[in-house]
Amino acid sequence: MKIARAFLLLASVAGVLGCGERPAEQATEPSEQAAAPPQAGETEVKLCDNHTTTTVPAGTVHTRDTGQKIADSLMAKWKAAHPEQDWEAEERKSRTFLPAADNAALIGTETPTQAPGHPYRNFTQQDIDSWKRETETFAVAGSKVFHSADELGSTIAVSCDMCHPNAANTHAETYPKFQTQLGRVALLRDMINWCLEHPVRAKPMDADDPRMRAMEAYIISQRAGATLAYGKH
Amino acid sequence: MSTRVPTLVSVLALCGIGAIAFAQQAAPPPASSTHGAATTEAQQAELDKLALSKDGAGTPATLDPSAWRAVIPADNPLDAKRIALGRKLYFEKALSSDGTVACATCHDSTRSFTDRRPVSEGVGGKLGRRNAPTTMNAALLHTQFWDGREGTLEEQAGQPILNSVEMALPNEEAAVEKLKAAGYDAEFQAAYGRDVNYDDIERAIAAFERTLIFLDAPIERFLAGERDALSDEARAGFALFNGKARCVSCHAINRNNPLGTDNRFHNIGVSARTKDFEKLAKEALAALAKDSSEEALDELALATDLSELGRFLVSRSYADLGSFRTPQLRNIGITGPYMHDGSMQTLWDVMDHYNKGGEANPFLDGGMEALALTETEIDQLVAFMFALTDKRFAALNEEEHARQRALAQKQRPFRDDAIAQRKTFDFEKRVAGGGK
Amino acid sequence: MTERKPGQRDASELPIWKSVETKYMEEREATLRALGKLDRRSFLRVSAAAMGAAVAAGVGINPHSFTTVNVAYAQPQSEALGAAKKPEPAGFKFAYISDSHLYKRELNDRFIRSLLRAVDDVNALDPQPDFVLYGGDLAQLGQKEELELGAQILKNLKAPMRIMVGEHDWYLDMGARWRELFGEPTYSFDHKGVHFVTLNSVVEEDFWTAQGLTPMERMQTVAGLDNGKQRPFTVGAEQREWLKKDLAAVPKTTPIIVFSHSPLYKLYKQWNFWTDDAEDVQAILKPFKTVTVIHGHTHQLLTNRIGNISFHGMLSTAWPWPYAPEGLPAMTIQMNRPDPFNSMDGCGDGELLVHPDGLADKLYKLWNRNPVTVSKAYMTSNGKKDLPIKPNAGSY
Repeated sequence: MKIARAFLLLASVAGVLGCGERPAEQATEPSEQAAAPPQAGETEVKLCDNHTTTTVPAGTVHTRDTGQKIADSLMAKWKAAHPEQDWEAEERKSRTFLPAADNAALIGTETPTQAPGHPYRNFTQQDIDSWKRETETFAVAGSKVFHSADELGSTIAVSCDMCHPNAANTHAETYPKFQTQLGRVALLRDMINWCLEHPVRAKPMDADDPRMRAMEAYIISQRAGATLAYGKH
Repeated sequence: MSTRVPTLVSVLALCGIGAIAFAQQAAPPPASSTHGAATTEAQQAELDKLALSKDGAGTPATLDPSAWRAVIPADNPLDAKRIALGRKLYFEKALSSDGTVACATCHDSTRSFTDRRPVSEGVGGKLGRRNAPTTMNAALLHTQFWDGREGTLEEQAGQPILNSVEMALPNEEAAVEKLKAAGYDAEFQAAYGRDVNYDDIERAIAAFERTLIFLDAPIERFLAGERDALSDEARAGFALFNGKARCVSCHAINRNNPLGTDNRFHNIGVSARTKDFEKLAKEALAALAKDSSEEALDELALATDLSELGRFLVSRSYADLGSFRTPQLRNIGITGPYMHDGSMQTLWDVMDHYNKGGEANPFLDGGMEALALTETEIDQLVAFMFALTDKRFAALNEEEHARQRALAQKQRPFRDDAIAQRKTFDFEKRVAGGGK
Repeated sequence: MTERKPGQRDASELPIWKSVETKYMEEREATLRALGKLDRRSFLRVSAAAMGAAVAAGVGINPHSFTTVNVAYAQPQSEALGAAKKPEPAGFKFAYISDSHLYKRELNDRFIRSLLRAVDDVNALDPQPDFVLYGGDLAQLGQKEELELGAQILKNLKAPMRIMVGEHDWYLDMGARWRELFGEPTYSFDHKGVHFVTLNSVVEEDFWTAQGLTPMERMQTVAGLDNGKQRPFTVGAEQREWLKKDLAAVPKTTPIIVFSHSPLYKLYKQWNFWTDDAEDVQAILKPFKTVTVIHGHTHQLLTNRIGNISFHGMLSTAWPWPYAPEGLPAMTIQMNRPDPFNSMDGCGDGELLVHPDGLADKLYKLWNRNPVTVSKAYMTSNGKKDLPIKPNAGSY
């Protein structure tokens, strides 16, 4: 259940709440409106998800303001039914993140042998914006797991941020290194797994578990600018 | 607190408190001139069977050449004469005050180079306080003795000769005189170019001990890629060793350090409950203020109650109270009984101790935690540990495995399921009671 | 207690196997319970003799009777062996235990174990301290069960207890259960010529109403050290007024010791190692000759001096925090980076030795490490004299 939720949350990384983008795994929530059919004269307005509705009283004047109110009401209902869809904004409000690298230098430079519009290495502003957005969102997803004992699967309600607020003291730039606790050379994810097994008392994750990948991304992203010093204790 | 018990009957009559401390007394060794050791002939025959290196050339099998070179001191490179001399001295009972004890008495080649007893017996039947570590692979340890009070094999070799509960010679000169009288000058001249002297005695013994490398176990083949070198059970045990059971953090086994020890000192709570560390520590500081020579330290460590202070005697550091060096795991199956006081008879007992998270005391290493291992997992870990024995002792290993398993099926004095499975905690009463 | 043959099972009991250690603990409890029937003073007087008797009877000795401070002082400060034992200094001592962050018992055993280790440590002190300070964050999520569990455990302390509140205790029910168990969070008292003031210095501006957070959501927001949705800690205008009034009657030469969960200075805002109105509070304290602030929240060895005010952090029993990436006071010599394998590393408890002149030595008793003393000489020389030991691996 937890893993399914994690998959869900990460699968929706690219998807902003938008019409028709509801992932298939999500259970449909019974909506309150279903119980009360519209009275005479009232209009039922349905959201493009074909599910969320709101009722507009009879005689409402059609102005921009009332239209906005209807839209807001639908949005609020939808958000209440899907509290997790806003996860990225929530997470960004709670924690601080470092920006991914700026690739602006790639814009506007064309290789001499290729004409504009040629697919190879002709990057646009949209390209670098979407790369940055995706990369940072992945780190934000990792932060969500990092800060949640439930997502980690801890059996003693311990989350990573209890010893590593803002991923402090994780030294991502020092991996690979000989990790004394493991008795061998470790990569960052080996140490994450060791911490999961021991201080956090959760099940270690597979190397390709989306939670593990996201957490590694978050931890590394928090050390942006640090000099790589592999092997440093 | 005395570790002696009047009789076995009164042990059973008491509510089993001291069962651990007194297990070592269960079979009191007969006061004899052999102190339980095999004869020199038998031991020498065993050594011959083991086909040890005669000249110390090359690197022992499975070791890294540079790691091996690093453990040989500059003033004592190996050669055939030194090794032969050292082997002779290893068995030389003249180095004891009554001519009955040699190194081989407590480090018996037919008893896995230890004596298979909880604590060792020396001159006059006197018992020490600590379990004899095996000479096997001792050359690769960073320090010698349970408390690391000596750094090299050479320095270690010279201590038991002068210890009152071991070989009990009064001083170094006595040892030199005895050897001179026995005609050793020629051999020493040949080996070191000098007449008999104490330092060279130490060097020769150390040179011999450096041929006692036994690191050719199933685990080597497994680490080299042969999956079936370990049984299914042992393989599962290895996974637990590196994971749930947390062994690897102190007993790491890798190419540069194949012994399975971090060479560090930890208080894991063995017999800690029976000691008043405060009183002992104060006594120790007072005693060491008067005389902190190597010999004095050696006596305190083996002949007095202060033995339980462990590393504290050496470092006088608060954090080291009751700490002992992580022992090597190589050949562990055949070198019981276990722990610094030999209080654990089987590896199942050892696992029970760790499964509980050791014994609470104010200096317990915080890495000790209840592990919640199941019986199957314990069996797997024990199977793995038995796979760390050199193949030259395979038969003995099998025997030990069976013997310990039979014994463990009869008694598990250290086992505490409730604590190990984290169902109850040792503070349960205090949390509930809340009384003063 | 019945003798149990190996292999003999009694289905009605847990545990099935009782190890010798468990049997020992039971016997120890029985001995101590018998001794406990005496009042505290008599207990201390006879306990030494009783221990002797217990030894003679073959009962195990209390493994926790270690006088840690004596051994710490008995360690030679220089390499010279056998430095003379320092005479016990004049003044008085109180012990501290802090930041235990207890969860409900079924959920997490580790934090309970470590709080009990601290209680054992303090109970083992000989002589007993004048009182024990509990530094706040007794509960992790401010729940009734957590606070009550903590209260129960702390009842085991032999010495009297003084307590201050932390944010983890407060923000679930805004201190309702806390007040029932421990009284008002803001108070003062005098002890042996020193005036003690306890503040609730974790007051945050209301951020939860606007966001429509439930009490548990509010608590979990505050519980996240790096959660930016919460507001900075303050003492607040009301308490500053109270402080001014309380100190009005106190002569300026009287030593002042302040108990505060937040540090009462500004170290690192992101982790609320911060008191927003610190300057105002410091201004109220400034006129006094000798002021010492003992604070929690930071879970590490922390030292600062601003003017005539010394600031000392307390160790947590539950887990250590890393050092903040910036804002660390110059006076702080870090403790060594903790080893995650050892869940008690970087944690512990400690004491404060208050000298007759009101200046204090702060003793950090880090578990499995040598104790560290931050002495009054270090504080008054602004870090030039009597330096505590430097780490070989700090946070980075």
